[in-house]
Amino acid sequence: MSVRNPVVTALKTWLIPRRYGVMRWSYSLQRISGVAITLYFVLHIGETANVIGGSQVWSIPSYEYARQVWTETVEFLSNPFFDAGLAVLAFLIFFHTSNGVRLFLTHFGILLGKPHRPEYPYHPASMTKAQLTIFWVSILLAVAALLYSLNIFFKVILP
Amino acid sequence: MSGKLQEVRLRVYRYDPSNGGRPRYDIFSVPVKKDTTVLSALLYVKEKLDPTLSIRFSCRMATCGSCGMMINGLPRLACYTLVSQLKSKTITVQPLNNFPVVKDLVADFTDFFGKHRAMKPYLLRIDTYEQEKSNISYRQTDEELLKYIQFAYCIRCGLCYAACPVVATDKRFPGPQALSQLYRYYIDSRDEGGGERLEVVSDSHGVLRCHFAGSCSQVCPKGVDPALAIQLLRRELLFGRRTG
Ligand code: SF4
Ligand code: FES
Repeated sequence: MSVRNPVVTALKTWLIPRRYGVMRWSYSLQRISGVAITLYFVLHIGETANVIGGSQVWSIPSYEYARQVWTETVEFLSNPFFDAGLAVLAFLIFFHTSNGVRLFLTHFGILLGKPHRPEYPYHPASMTKAQLTIFWVSILLAVAALLYSLNIFFKVILP
Repeated sequence: MSGKLQEVRLRVYRYDPSNGGRPRYDIFSVPVKKDTTVLSALLYVKEKLDPTLSIRFSCRMATCGSCGMMINGLPRLACYTLVSQLKSKTITVQPLNNFPVVKDLVADFTDFFGKHRAMKPYLLRIDTYEQEKSNISYRQTDEELLKYIQFAYCIRCGLCYAACPVVATDKRFPGPQALSQLYRYYIDSRDEGGGERLEVVSDSHGVLRCHFAGSCSQVCPKGVDPALAIQLLRRELLFGRRTG
């Protein structure tokens, strides 16, 4: 019996949300943003920890040392590559938070339709207009956050 | 597409374990009419062009649930999908995703049915005599019936299981079909399984693993809406009554 490659399958289901409608896009974006935010958080803590001496934190470093590391870190990070990354992160954070509220509410059974006798053509009651609205509002908020951040870093819209 | 014959290209996934086991695609030209289903087109191939093609089907009317396959990338019933509705000159058919393949388009349902069975898909009564020997009839109001009847329409075709991204990455996840059937019995006013039923799916690979991608409900050919049953089941697990 053949079993198709599990890693390929996993990546495909995460990264190619085509064909299954809006909720599959919501699923993929929620997962990707979740992983990206966690990674950013870990790197962010690691990076800022350097300023106070990393693992040497308990033997409080001198002020000069902290200032030097801080300056080096800021210099290392201030390039267009990291700026663009932060703008994308703003998109992901806003989407994840706002769409997360929708998912959270559905765990309480809120925003769901009621079971009914299925009549063709079927409209799943698991996906209500209220939920769709929150999904699209999440996208709007995320795009606004992206544009705002891009403008801060690159002055693309307003001077 | 009119009532006249037209040609479509069927691109068919082929896999024969006795033949080195390397999957390939064969292409067949098949004459079709407006009302030709993908299943009829495949049967034409089997009868006229290549008798070694393996497919599974029975009722030809979306009732037995045995002809599920990936048709142009989506899980669908071959007997319930018209070639004309696909609006493409080439139609790709593959065995259902998330299932091992036995041969060609035939997927292995052993795990799938095992998960269904683990949900105890029958009424549980506390009285053991009644459970085994009962010939009592149970009364039910319309409201009580409406709570589960939608989920009782399931024909176990596995389309939802093939569409689910969580099944794809977690083999221990029972999947949308099994979970919706668990809810179907849990919420049935005649059932006394209660909390005992929820225990089966209360670990981290159970109902909490569902990420609510909703793809199951998009592809279900019977309008079962497994995603709804799963969210309601999750609410029961997190906040519901704990009996039994
Ligand atoms: S829930 Fe729908 S898609 Fe899933 S097995 Fe039942 S009938 Fe098929
Ligand atoms: S042949 Fe029975 S469902 Fe298609």
